[in-house]
Amino acid sequence: MAKKQISIWQEIVKGLWRENPVLATLLGLCPTLAVTNTAVNGLAMGLATSFVLLSSSLFISSLRNFIPHQVRIASYIVIIATFVTVADRFLAGFFPAISQSLGPYVPLIVVNCLILGRQEAFSSKNKISRSLLDGIGMGLGFSLVLIALGMVRELLGSGSIFGITLLGEWFEPWMVMILPPGAFLTLGFFIAIANWINDRRATA
Amino acid sequence: MTQHTSGSGKMVLVLTLITALSGAILAAWDSYTAPKITYHREQALLVAISQVLPAHDSTRTVVLNGQTFYEAFAGDSLVGVGFQALGNGFQGQIRMMLGMTPDLETITGLEILEQVETPGLGTKIAHDPSQRSDPEWFTKQFNGLLPSPELTVIKNATPTHSNEIQAITGATISSQAVVRILNQQIESARQAFRTGSEVVHG
Amino acid sequence: MSIPSPASSKGKSKLKEPENLLILASSPHLHTTTSTQSIMWQVVLALSPAATMAIYYFRWPAVVIILTSVIAAVLTEAVINRLKGETLTITDGSAVITGLLLALTLPPTFSIGGTILGAVVAIGIGKQLFGGLGYNIFNPALLGRAFLQASFPIGMTTWSTPATLAGSAVDGVSTATPLGLYKFEHALTGYADLFVGNVGGSLGETSALAILIGGLYLLIRRFADWRIPVSYLGGVVIIGGIFWAFAPNQFPDPVFHLLSGGLILGAFFMATDMVTSPITHLATWIYGIGMALILVIIRLFGGLPEGVMYSILLMNAVTPLLNRYTRPKIFGEVQS
Repeated sequence: MAKKQISIWQEIVKGLWRENPVLATLLGLCPTLAVTNTAVNGLAMGLATSFVLLSSSLFISSLRNFIPHQVRIASYIVIIATFVTVADRFLAGFFPAISQSLGPYVPLIVVNCLILGRQEAFSSKNKISRSLLDGIGMGLGFSLVLIALGMVRELLGSGSIFGITLLGEWFEPWMVMILPPGAFLTLGFFIAIANWINDRRATA
Repeated sequence: MTQHTSGSGKMVLVLTLITALSGAILAAWDSYTAPKITYHREQALLVAISQVLPAHDSTRTVVLNGQTFYEAFAGDSLVGVGFQALGNGFQGQIRMMLGMTPDLETITGLEILEQVETPGLGTKIAHDPSQRSDPEWFTKQFNGLLPSPELTVIKNATPTHSNEIQAITGATISSQAVVRILNQQIESARQAFRTGSEVVHG
Repeated sequence: MSIPSPASSKGKSKLKEPENLLILASSPHLHTTTSTQSIMWQVVLALSPAATMAIYYFRWPAVVIILTSVIAAVLTEAVINRLKGETLTITDGSAVITGLLLALTLPPTFSIGGTILGAVVAIGIGKQLFGGLGYNIFNPALLGRAFLQASFPIGMTTWSTPATLAGSAVDGVSTATPLGLYKFEHALTGYADLFVGNVGGSLGETSALAILIGGLYLLIRRFADWRIPVSYLGGVVIIGGIFWAFAPNQFPDPVFHLLSGGLILGAFFMATDMVTSPITHLATWIYGIGMALILVIIRLFGGLPEGVMYSILLMNAVTPLLNRYTRPKIFGEVQS
């Protein structure tokens, strides 16, 4: 534990850019690619993942001195799966339309590397307060990228953002953007732009 | 750090406790959300039934030869029969609610409940955003059709017969799939409805 | 290839290859601009019969699409050259070829905006993103077309009748391609019309005759490897022929396979792309037959009527692998 404690503010902000789950560490790409065909879907998936991440971080951080090392992954998965089921049932019960459009990708949050990765790398070794801050930062960073991806893909693929039509009749939607190849292309451009900004900063 | 090794007794205990806690949380949450989820499903079905059948004031569900029918009544008289039609589309299953007159000769309405066709092409069977004035033109075509001997799809032309519908441009396969499913299921529904022994549910 | 080379049993120095013993097939990405340039303009020349036939059959819309596509491709190349701080590479003609090839694969009724988008994607994503000429994995024109096919599935499959068939009016008469007619209505088109191109289809794919003239020129000048069209077309005839022999009522005959759709255009001008096709002879044969197999499967069993684009793109993707596994043994190197 010789690591120097960074400030509370930095604990949150690192998830937004420097250690952003999608742009920097490329974790949790399955939902990132699969459901961001509209901004609303990106938002819903971001929030559901953040909820699971925060709740699991809270639990695992509190139980970190209690869970034996050999069964930690099993314990984490049970805890994560519990909150994923809670989130899935919540969406099905209160937002049936969103639940239907996200399809199987809400249950699949359970295998999202981002969540298990944060538990193994952070929550299992840090205080509850720190783990929560980390969860907030990572969840926010993940959600923001998903919403941005959803906005770009929805704009080019359907001519609207959050269901509001922005491009008129003249615009012929690029169908490919709401299909899987559009997800890969957009994400590729996002990561390229992020790396380009980092390079510029490093040389500046 | 938590990297101390533990005996198997502690492992079993901890895992048991965690799974028990997980079970408790899920049980509590399920008892809260399950009624809501069921409610939404039934609502979706009821909305679909009311949309595909003529004006009615009550419905009842009957099961004939294992197939579920939704009968619509205006007063005492049976005005329409609805049933679900299910089959394979271009990419996955298409689930529809079909409304017909009590003699199962005329279609009164069609709703697509579930489909996973190609976005922007096959999905137009349910919703066609390029026809802003009438995005559901495809299913509306079925209103009043007489599927005898059977429905047929025509391309790039206005239907002239009472059993023809126009295919969606670029989504011929999805259009044909809808018609194929309907032809099959209307046939089996006729058999079940006309000859079946009745089990009434509420 | 196990050619005994006595001089090479030991020694670290480079082996002197015995004359006429080792068959060499070199990568043709030449590094002297003059040669690349001259080859590229010869390819443009070879494409001109197909382009001329496109204009003859489809009139003004063909002119507009070809010019739009070529200009957009060249401009994209120039803009990206500037952004990357490189010297302009537009004079080497490769962007012109990409623009021209893309245009020849588009339907005559395709929109100008869509054509520009396709050319930008072809050059920007298909070529420059990978590092420019010689580094791209996929044929840029086909990548641009694949993007358009996925983006505008209706626009990319709406065909108009050639002006020679439509009588006076040029546009407005929509038709189906011979392959579309076969797939969805099980109707065959006459060989004569297919051969001269008097059918619906993409701008440059309809006239087998015009493409063959340009294609043979390429082969004679050795700008394209003859093994690619031979293995691709031959593979389609054999594989398509097997299906036809077993169920002649269900499947089209091999001649129809050959003459319809974009097969001949693809086989001579896109599959032979020097950058994205294999180097060794064995790999080239596998490449051609692989394309033939994919094409026949898509045409006979797929949801789409035509599969030339995907067959070439998919085999482009395995080209590095084919090169790797068919690499001739290197003699004279010391095992580390």
